[in-house]
Amino acid sequence: MEEVSRTSILILDDEPIVCKRLKSALEKKGYEVEIFFRSADAFKRVSERNFDIVITDLKMEGLDGMTFLTEVKKRSPRTEVIVITGFATMETAKESFQKGVFDFLAKPFKLAEIQDAVERAEKKIKEARSKTA
Amino acid sequence: MQVGKWARSVLHPILGRRAKGPSFIDVFSKFQTILGLNNKILDLMAEMGDKLGGDYIFDKQYIRSACGQMADYVYKLIYNLDTIAPHKYLGLYDAFSKINSEIEDELEGKIVIPESELVMPYTLVSRDFSDVVGAKNANLAEIGNFLRVRIPEGFAITTMAFKTYMDHNDLWSQIKPLTDAWSKGDMKTREVSSKIQTLIMKGSLPADLKKQLRKALEGLAEDQSRERLFLAIRSSAWGEDTESTFAGQFLSLLNRPAENLFDAYKEILASAYSQNAMEYRRERGFSEQEVVMAVACQIMVDASVSGVMYTLDPQDPQSEVMVVSATWGLGAPIVSGETAADQFKIACEPPHEVKGLKIIRKARRMVPGDGGGTETVPVPDALQTKASLTHEQLTELAEHGIMIERYFKKPQDVEFAYDSGGRLYILQARPLNIESQTAKLVCDIPSTLKKAHALFSGKGDIAQEGIGIGKVFLVKNDEDLERFPEGAVLVARNTSPRFAKVIRKAAAVLTDVGSPIGHMATIAREFRVPTIVNTGIATRVLKQDQEITVDAEENVIYEGKVKALCYYEFVEEPFEETYEYRLLRRILKKISPLNLLDPLDRKFSPRYCKTFHDITRFIHEKAVEEIIELSYYSPKDAKAQSLHLELPVPLDLVLIDIGEGLEVARSKKVAIGDIRSVPMQAFVRGLLSPGAWSTEPMSVDFGGFMSSLTRTFSSSLATPRYIGQNLAVLSLNYVNISLRLGYHFNLIDAYVSENINDNYAYFRFLGGVTDLSRRSRRARLVGEILTMNDFRVDLRGDLVVARIKKLGMEEMKEKVKLIGILVAFTRQLDVQMVNDDQVDRFVEVFKTLSADKGTMQ
Repeated sequence: MEEVSRTSILILDDEPIVCKRLKSALEKKGYEVEIFFRSADAFKRVSERNFDIVITDLKMEGLDGMTFLTEVKKRSPRTEVIVITGFATMETAKESFQKGVFDFLAKPFKLAEIQDAVERAEKKIKEARSKTA
Repeated sequence: MQVGKWARSVLHPILGRRAKGPSFIDVFSKFQTILGLNNKILDLMAEMGDKLGGDYIFDKQYIRSACGQMADYVYKLIYNLDTIAPHKYLGLYDAFSKINSEIEDELEGKIVIPESELVMPYTLVSRDFSDVVGAKNANLAEIGNFLRVRIPEGFAITTMAFKTYMDHNDLWSQIKPLTDAWSKGDMKTREVSSKIQTLIMKGSLPADLKKQLRKALEGLAEDQSRERLFLAIRSSAWGEDTESTFAGQFLSLLNRPAENLFDAYKEILASAYSQNAMEYRRERGFSEQEVVMAVACQIMVDASVSGVMYTLDPQDPQSEVMVVSATWGLGAPIVSGETAADQFKIACEPPHEVKGLKIIRKARRMVPGDGGGTETVPVPDALQTKASLTHEQLTELAEHGIMIERYFKKPQDVEFAYDSGGRLYILQARPLNIESQTAKLVCDIPSTLKKAHALFSGKGDIAQEGIGIGKVFLVKNDEDLERFPEGAVLVARNTSPRFAKVIRKAAAVLTDVGSPIGHMATIAREFRVPTIVNTGIATRVLKQDQEITVDAEENVIYEGKVKALCYYEFVEEPFEETYEYRLLRRILKKISPLNLLDPLDRKFSPRYCKTFHDITRFIHEKAVEEIIELSYYSPKDAKAQSLHLELPVPLDLVLIDIGEGLEVARSKKVAIGDIRSVPMQAFVRGLLSPGAWSTEPMSVDFGGFMSSLTRTFSSSLATPRYIGQNLAVLSLNYVNISLRLGYHFNLIDAYVSENINDNYAYFRFLGGVTDLSRRSRRARLVGEILTMNDFRVDLRGDLVVARIKKLGMEEMKEKVKLIGILVAFTRQLDVQMVNDDQVDRFVEVFKTLSADKGTMQ
């Protein structure tokens, strides 16, 4: 596989264990993964480059996940966002989807679930690419 | 006591103890709440346990909210029991508070050191005490006590002693700012380490600890009858010798005179803050708050040869050989890697053929010094190039290694020594890390599986994932449990919390029926024993002693040993080393283990509830008891209408419907067809089974038997006029029946619904009047019949208590029906039970009776 075609993923969660485990699980599947524990750092990073997929928690200290994902979608509408949260309510789910979030997973989730969500997001991105190409 | 109960039950219509208490319907609704909560707790417990399996991504927030939910359920459970048994079990609140505040401390990151003695002799230590004595002590004592492997005599200085020492010298408050500064990078490791170590060395031992240590030393000296006592004093910290070995991070002091123990103890504690240990913790993600040090104190083995054994070659696991390194004298230089040693490779499989050996020149050896400590001396020429272990010794070692590996279910890193008398001592055993090789092994699985013969697959529900290899051992009753061999696969018809006794010895557990969220499944999870329940066919398909491989991941049972699976299990997930994993695991220890196993045990009381599971089980048992008691004393309830059931047998039975138990009543008389209650239907069907009650002959044999009975015991005598009211309280899924038939008192309490976890049937049979031997013969008969039908039976004199739980609805109906048959059948037996032979004869008669599938229609 060429380097260019590797799907890039940014993960933002203030609990390091979530980032660490997602990173190793997704890297095993061949994705390029960057992890951030603080939203400010992640924010800085997305202003430097675009990611294909962003996985973010909602409730965090500082800039919250909802604001972060809104920014991400504004900057790069093609980026697919997957929300992971331990405080899943209908309202937050609804708000996320209104903002164009690709999928919404309630923590704790299974590795297979997130891998599946990522695969589906990747598929969507590739389809979109081939249409514009 | 039984006489007392009997008297009260006879007198209850007059006394009416509960006449002014809450109504039965109220109590029953509380009871149903308790059942509901009980289920939720077991579900949540299982769910939390699942998270340790590695499939899930969870964070601290999850642990926090799950614990909060759990505490809420358990508190409600206690509250609800208190409303039906006011102030009877107040001790539960104390038990709850204690457990819950420990969990909250854990969540806040405080260390929770279990209350214990300051010093514990090895004879009292088992693996369960690893929080108290550290894993090194616990593992060693466990193999010494349980596997009967020779270990050095000794004792553990507990984590509680560590806490006492730290508190006594006010060390926590001095250490914390130092480690905080170090974590932030404001101080160098070397500086912090040296400051903390000095603080620890300057402290003094609390008087109580000194006293207990002196006593323990006296104990050792007595057994040794040696003039001077020399000790090996080793660290046994939390986390050490587990998945993270901390190998060589802490101190071991060899051949220390006993009188120097106090100082040596301080040295070991200080080694918890060696530079290496601190760096190791930082690298592995251990928090500084997790530093808890127990100490191992052992008689120094006068070793002529020592070494280390890996029960599987970490460089080449597929080769199926064990690796042994050994040298003359003490083994410390091998362990530390200072010197080369003889190396032997032995086959894992008996007869443990030697596959390879490399004998080196051993010019020097470490020996215990005369006045203490160690010294290195030259080896006599004749020994220098001689192999340090004989063939016999290698075989003996291999046998020990395999036994220990099987016991801990992981390849082991074992330290050993042969003393001058040629006796083998195991000095230490810890899990062997073979992580680096696992990826290759995983790839080999599919091809191996193609060759393997699957006995069955996809049957039942996995309660605990994992791979187990062993010989089938069928368990039918408690005696079988007593005989359960190490490393066998437990195969039984039903799940039972009684298996807890042997589950850790089992390679795997398979049952025909049962629920993956029942008590036993929770226990299996606690011990991580691969378990599949509800297979439907395990006891039929599997033969005693047949060797099988249980793959409780893909849910397949293979014939024989499937080795590739075995290796797969060795894959060590680094996930198990994360802080969250350890936190959840520690917290679950306060939630999941079940200590209260036997309701008849003296310790079945709130005082001995150590976990939420204990509390939950205690309440379940007591709630059932309460509802049964209640029905003794409040037969009439103003809110519930009592109706008479019309039966084709002379039995006057009053029904109280507390919710959808009957079709809408048209009159005070209820026909059998009006019963909606599932368990009541089943019971009546049994009661009216052909031949059970009626005196019409079933078979020649039975007819003769029955007519002989009816002559002396006419059914008119059984009219309960003067004994008391026969009562059934019922709802759609529940029935509680009190029957006085002849001289027998029967109590049936059953809940039968679609939810397998709620289902239970309880049957109590109590007789009276005739002499005790006849009564107990009758009780034995009832007991035997119930045991044959999978009930758990307790016999006490003439009292029979039988329970059965958690079967599917149809099976449960059969069990309740059987109780019905039994009630009708035993009504006839009484003064006739003159000799023991009759017990067997009646059992036979009953078999014929219950085998008949005819129903009341």
